[in-house]
Amino acid sequence: MDTVLAPLLWLVSYIMMGWHWVFAELLGINHDGVNWALSIIGLVIVIRTLLIPLFVRQIRSQRKMQLLQPQLRELQKKYKGDRERLQQEMMKLYKKTGTNPFASCLPILLQAPFLFSLFRVLDGIARDRPRGAFPNHEDLFESAGRAEVFGAKLADSFLTTDVMQTRVLAMIMVVGMVVSQYVTQRQIMRKNMPKEALEGPFAQQQKILLYVLPLVFLFSGVYFPLGTVLYWLTSNFWTMGQQLYVIRRMPAPGSDAEKAQQRRQAEKARRKGLTVADPEEKPEVEPGQENGEARRQQPKRTSRSQRKKKRR
Amino acid sequence: MTKLIVAVLKLYRLVVSQLYGQTCRYYPSCSAYALGAVETHRAVRGSWLALRRLARCHPWCAGGVDLVPTTDNYLWWGRAAGTDGEDEPSAGHRQPESISAIPACRGA
Repeated sequence: MDTVLAPLLWLVSYIMMGWHWVFAELLGINHDGVNWALSIIGLVIVIRTLLIPLFVRQIRSQRKMQLLQPQLRELQKKYKGDRERLQQEMMKLYKKTGTNPFASCLPILLQAPFLFSLFRVLDGIARDRPRGAFPNHEDLFESAGRAEVFGAKLADSFLTTDVMQTRVLAMIMVVGMVVSQYVTQRQIMRKNMPKEALEGPFAQQQKILLYVLPLVFLFSGVYFPLGTVLYWLTSNFWTMGQQLYVIRRMPAPGSDAEKAQQRRQAEKARRKGLTVADPEEKPEVEPGQENGEARRQQPKRTSRSQRKKKRR
Repeated sequence: MTKLIVAVLKLYRLVVSQLYGQTCRYYPSCSAYALGAVETHRAVRGSWLALRRLARCHPWCAGGVDLVPTTDNYLWWGRAAGTDGEDEPSAGHRQPESISAIPACRGA
């Protein structure tokens, strides 16, 4: 496995060493733990920055999608109650007009090998087995082995340590991951989805999510070294920030976020002494009527008896 | 084997898909496609179809409707008939001549 990953192990460890150099030599921070923790955060910044072009692409096609609103609304009317068919027709429209708002899972999949490489490098540090670029830099390897934040070693994991601090820190980070993921999800739901989309089976899914999510993060927080958890946590926060930016700048039609945006724009226009643009003019959508295509497709609320009637 | 893969896929859809919401550029999403493919075509062919779909799905693809082919329409390479979600199996122009020419392969 490590032979396949060798280039990535090198890349990850070199990026970390680069950041370590910045903090230790350039800024002169004389603390192994802080330096290495910051270099892991730096690694997240490098990788997520590289993924920004993909993100920008997604935003662009979401902007273009605003123009498709009338057509989308028509489809929604036509295939009311037939969620499957509606999704199909929407996908066809996206394809035809080249405005697919989804990024595919590649950006997420791409990050997995990096996370795993970081895990291997940190695991190597914990077991005194230098991996990646570390065999050639013994002093750095030793420094990384000493790296402690609040008395918890970055290369240790909850399961491999007896130190209380490591366990406490791991649990704090698990809570941090759950909270950040939850906030991101909530932001999408509350602010960037019309009210109709928040009812029905969707609410049920969210409940499942609430129970499953902490379990997934608990597992990772217990099993992975602190440094890896730190990477994941930082990455989560990055996603949260990115999401907030999108919701502010490109709200889904008919959502609360859109109303807030219109209010801000009107405010700005007023301050500049210009005539206030008619908010009805831009997206001719009645608030709360539109579905949040830019986010997830959610079914319109249908009661059990309604669905039964339709089937007959 | 088929049952195992189906179970893993269902678990994945319960956990991971929930985490990220809809990100797939295709309908059905890759994991739903994989589930359907393995259920209709069994482990080997189903996994092969799912792998090909995953490779197709990237930020530069057009996306759109891409259904699991029926067992009669299965092709080991290239796009099978009737997978573009049109009511009529009119995917003829995308099909190699030899296959769309056979009536039995069309509406199945």
